[in-house]
Amino acid sequence: MFNYRLYWTFAKKSFLRSAVYRFDVWSRLGSNVIFLLMWGSIWTALYAGREEAGGVSFQAMLTYIVVSQFLSGVNGAGTPLWEIQEKVRTGDISLELMRPFDVPLRYLFADFGSVFFYMITALLPLYIILFFFMDLSLPNDPLIWLAFSFAAFIGFLIRYCIEMAFGLLTFFLVETGGVEDIFYFAMSLLSGSVIPLWFFPGWLASFASYLPFQGIYYIPNAIFIGEIAGYQILTSIGVQLFWVVVTYIFLRLVWNKASQKVVVQGG
Amino acid sequence: MRYIDLYFKLVAAGIRAQLQYRFAFFMRIVGMLTSYAGTAITMWVMLYQFQELGTWNFYEMLFLFAIAVLSWGFCIILFFHFRSLDTYILNGTFDRFLVRPINPFFHFMAMKFDVASFGQFIFSIFIFIWVSVELHIHWTIANVLFLLAAVIGGVLIQGGLLVIISAFAFWTTKSEQFYWVVMYPARNLTNYPLVIYPKMVQWFTAFVVPFGFVNYFPASVILGKETPYFPENIGYFSPLVGIVFFIIAYYIWMLGLSRYKSTGS
Repeated sequence: MFNYRLYWTFAKKSFLRSAVYRFDVWSRLGSNVIFLLMWGSIWTALYAGREEAGGVSFQAMLTYIVVSQFLSGVNGAGTPLWEIQEKVRTGDISLELMRPFDVPLRYLFADFGSVFFYMITALLPLYIILFFFMDLSLPNDPLIWLAFSFAAFIGFLIRYCIEMAFGLLTFFLVETGGVEDIFYFAMSLLSGSVIPLWFFPGWLASFASYLPFQGIYYIPNAIFIGEIAGYQILTSIGVQLFWVVVTYIFLRLVWNKASQKVVVQGG
Repeated sequence: MRYIDLYFKLVAAGIRAQLQYRFAFFMRIVGMLTSYAGTAITMWVMLYQFQELGTWNFYEMLFLFAIAVLSWGFCIILFFHFRSLDTYILNGTFDRFLVRPINPFFHFMAMKFDVASFGQFIFSIFIFIWVSVELHIHWTIANVLFLLAAVIGGVLIQGGLLVIISAFAFWTTKSEQFYWVVMYPARNLTNYPLVIYPKMVQWFTAFVVPFGFVNYFPASVILGKETPYFPENIGYFSPLVGIVFFIIAYYIWMLGLSRYKSTGS
C-alpha cells in the first residue's frame, strides 16, 4: 500500500539538497527577519503605548506576531508555487506522472525534508534567541506546547493542500495571474497571519471563520498565546482536522482531473 | 538624439510582442489590481479598531501607498527588465548586447518595455482621487508639480536599486536572490509610514537605500505630516536624491560590465 521507504527517500534527498543551497537559507531568513521587524513595528505603533486593546495585552499580541512569523517561515520553506507551475507549463510534470509514485505526496515529503533543514539550521536558532531577548509570553503548560505544535502541523498540511491545488490549476488556465493573487491575499489576511481575527470587523471575522485559512496561522497562534484555551483548543483542532480532510479531497479531485487532462493531450 | 529615436523604435517592437498574448496581458493587470487592493484592504482592517498608525489615518496611508504604487508602475515599464539580467548572463545571451554599436546599458534597458503596469496606474489614480476628496487635499499647480517631481525621483531610486541588484550578476552570475532579500522587503516596509520603525531603520531607508524618498518624505510634505528625526520638508530633495542615486547605480553597473566575462554557454 503506502510505501514509506520511497517517500522517506524524497524527504531525505530534499533535506540534503537544501544543505547545498545555503545561500537560499540565509536570504530567506533575512527577509523573514525584515517582515518580523515590519509587523512588530506596526503592532507596536497600533497599540501606541497602551497595555491592552480589545482584551488582549500588548505582550500577547507581540508574541502572536513573532509566532506567526516563525510559522510563515516554516510554511514558506517548501517547494514554491511557481516551481510547480513551471513544471506544468514546460511539460516536465509528465515525466513525474510516468513514475511509480504519487506526485502530491512526493512533493509533500520533499517539503518535509527542506522545511526540516530550514527549521533546524535557521528558524529555530533565531526564534529561540528572540524569545530570550524579547519580552514575550511563553506558555507554561507543556500540553499547550503540544497542542500548538500539533495545530501548527495541521495548519501546514492545510496550507500545502490549498497551495498545491492552486498550483495545479495551471493545467487548466494558461495564465493564473488574477486567481493567484486572490489566493495570496486570502492566505495573508483571512488566515490571521498578520492581523488576528478578533480585531476584524464582525462580519469579516465570521466570514473568515467559515474558511479553511484560519487553520494555517490563526488557530496555532491563538493557542500559543492562550486566546484559545481549555476545551476550545479541542474544538479548534477539530475545525482544523475537518478542513485538512476537505482540502485534501479538493486537492485529490484537482489532481485527478489534471492528470487525466495530461493523458488526453498525450503529455 | 539618435538614442531617443532608437528607444522608441525598440519600445514599439516590445509592445507589439507583448500584445500577442492579450489574455495573459489582461490577467496580469487583473492580478496586480487584486494584489494592491489586497494591501489596501489589509490596511483598512488593521485600522478598523485602531484608527491610527503612528498618527497616520487610513486615507493618509492610502495616499502614501498610492505614491509608491505609481512610481513602481513607471519603474516596471522602464527598468524591470534588469531583473532578468542574471538569466541572460547564465545563458550567454548577454553577449549580443556587447557586439552592437550602442551603449549596452541603454540597449539592455530598451529591450523590454513592460506595458502591463496599467494596473498600477489605474489603482494609484483611483486612490489619488478618492483620498483627495476624503482629505480635502488642495491641489495647487505647485503641489502637482512637486508630486510629479517626487514620482520621477521615486522611479529613479527604485530603478537605481534594480540596476544595482542586477549588477551583482556580473560578479556572481546570480541576482534574483538579492531582489528578494533587498528590493521586495524594502518596498513592503515603505508601504507603511517610516515613523513607526526604529530610528536605525529610518536612517537606513533615508540614507543607505533611500526608499524613504520614494513616498514617505514626499507624502509628509503634501499632507503636512511631521517627520521626527528628519528636517521638515526633507521631501523636497526626492528628485535630487533620485538623480544622484541613479548615477551611482549606473556607474556600479558599468563597473560590473567591465568585469564581465562571458559564461560562453
